[in-house]
Amino acid sequence: MLTLNLVAQGLIQGSIYALVALGLTLVYGLLRILHVAHAALFTLGGYVGVLVCNASGSLALGFLCAALVSGFGGVIMFRLAYQPLLKQPPYVALIASIGLFIASEEAFRIIFGPQGFSFTDPSLQQQIVIGGGLQFKLAELLVMLSTAVIIGILAWLQARTRVGIACQATVSDPQMAESFGISLRQVRDINFFVGSALAGFAGVWVALLNNLVEPTMGSVPSYKALAIIVLGGLGSVPGTLAAALLLGVIESFGTIYLGDFLDRNAIAFAFLIAVLMVRPQGLFARR
Amino acid sequence: MKSRTQRFPLLIVAAAAMTFSASAAWADIKVGFNVPLTGFAAGDGKSALDGAKLAVAQANAAGGVAGQKIELVVYDDQASPKEAVPSATKMVEKDQVVAAVSGSYSGSTRAAASIFQRAQVPYVVAYAIHPDITLAGDYMFRVSAMGEVQGRGGAKLVQNLGKKNVVLITLKNDFGQALAAGFKEAAPKLGINIINEYEYGMPDRQFGPLVSKVKSDNPEVIYASGYFFTAGPLVSQLRAAGITAPIIGQEGYDSEKFIEIAGDASEGTLITTSLDRDSSSPSTKAFLADYKKATGSGADMVAAASYTAASVVIEGLKKTGGKGGEALKNAIAAGTYDMPIGKLAFNDLHEVKKDVQVQVIKDKAFHRHSVISDPVLLAPPTKAK
Repeated sequence: MLTLNLVAQGLIQGSIYALVALGLTLVYGLLRILHVAHAALFTLGGYVGVLVCNASGSLALGFLCAALVSGFGGVIMFRLAYQPLLKQPPYVALIASIGLFIASEEAFRIIFGPQGFSFTDPSLQQQIVIGGGLQFKLAELLVMLSTAVIIGILAWLQARTRVGIACQATVSDPQMAESFGISLRQVRDINFFVGSALAGFAGVWVALLNNLVEPTMGSVPSYKALAIIVLGGLGSVPGTLAAALLLGVIESFGTIYLGDFLDRNAIAFAFLIAVLMVRPQGLFARR
Repeated sequence: MKSRTQRFPLLIVAAAAMTFSASAAWADIKVGFNVPLTGFAAGDGKSALDGAKLAVAQANAAGGVAGQKIELVVYDDQASPKEAVPSATKMVEKDQVVAAVSGSYSGSTRAAASIFQRAQVPYVVAYAIHPDITLAGDYMFRVSAMGEVQGRGGAKLVQNLGKKNVVLITLKNDFGQALAAGFKEAAPKLGINIINEYEYGMPDRQFGPLVSKVKSDNPEVIYASGYFFTAGPLVSQLRAAGITAPIIGQEGYDSEKFIEIAGDASEGTLITTSLDRDSSSPSTKAFLADYKKATGSGADMVAAASYTAASVVIEGLKKTGGKGGEALKNAIAAGTYDMPIGKLAFNDLHEVKKDVQVQVIKDKAFHRHSVISDPVLLAPPTKAK
């Protein structure tokens, strides 16, 4: 029963990692930028979700606003910070990204105060008992379910729609794609919007699970998501998904059985190093 | 052009005014205050700053010290040793404070302690609980029960509850580990069986795997260290998994924010702390009321302890007529204090001997549960140790 519980908890955590890391991998695939400030949009989503939900009483509206605000936030971030740097070597954008992330943490603290916010009346807290020994919050089950649904939709969009195919074409050969009449600018905007909206969406889930949003809530996802996209083979969507879930489960067991000598947040990187020694291209790289 | 010449005399007046106010400030008695105002501990830092400011404002309103006003020189140390060292150095070298107060965590306070000791500036610590702080030297004072003592108090509480099998959930920093050390030291003497101990890190908010394991351990009591921002999610997740064993926390939980985060799951949580909200002591009651009036929110342990630490410095300064150094050190050491967190007197290591307050959360508020007074078990270490 403990094993089953640990797997379930790992998948819950992995779902959140997946939502955050997917946006990052979309950006990396398209622009080769390690977008650390992505985690700021995750935090932004959490704040917007809690504030809107507390003001309106509707969690659904909270989710919607969080995804929209984070999505547009991502596009603005791209236009203002990354676009002017695209001709520079990638580390220039990385430095800008780290700076943006630190500045955003402080901005959240200055605007919303250091203590963070909670839902005044948190929803989805009902207890669900499965098979006697497994007990979850409703929110924990829904986070897994919604991640599966969203990623399914995303995969379908990418494979079956014009916009999705345009995105894929831009990733594999931007110049050729442009010569076929695909607007690079549009594709990049869409990518940032979708990826950032996912991060905002994840932020609201984390806010619900912990009943807390705080200025520093993005600090762990900011670097762990980087480890995940490297594991997943940089830029590969299915690889990122698999790596996120796998890391969730490994962390779950690691926290209990390796916790005495390895920090929970160090497990991700120990695993990353171990994998890169055997498969330098990442676990699930296509090439 | 005309307007510029018209403004010119105004500028002179403004400059003169600034010179005057600067020279007035020069005569003030400066007391340093290091506190985390940014970073993960900024929530506690705000409470600490509000508490210390209240103490200074009250003293100044009552005429200050020897006719001079007290000025709190505030530095943000981000609860980090690497920020605490330069700020302590600045307080000593640049601001030339006569005394300093720590409104910060153990890590940064430990780092600052040796600097104040070397400069012979009395340093009164509000709520940082690591044992090494007072070991830095005789200019160090602490107004809260140190970690080990509180940990022993926690073990005693388990015994008082009539329970035996405990799981420890320990925050992996100076605070959590000092508490766990005290708990583990006292447990065998009190017939308490520690089934397992788990550690977690400061950034952790999702405790799913740990909660699953604790559930399978099936303890009678859970002794979990942490701050309100880690303990809130932890307690809520323990309860969500169907664990009903009593949870014992410590002063890190001592914030209304904890109840807000954990919500209904916080009901019945016990904490060992230094602030008794249901106290009949006039100084505690007055502090709780004044703090509410000044800030609009309820006081927590951090605010009360920082208020106390600043007040101890001020009382010392009153005795020395505003002088610092050795005179102030001796004055602080010799005093007895009636404070919001109890009646205090320092031993030869400059630790306080006091009862541990146990508070319980009932109807979304902290209330008195019991008081643990065991002079032998709760004795702070002395120099002779």
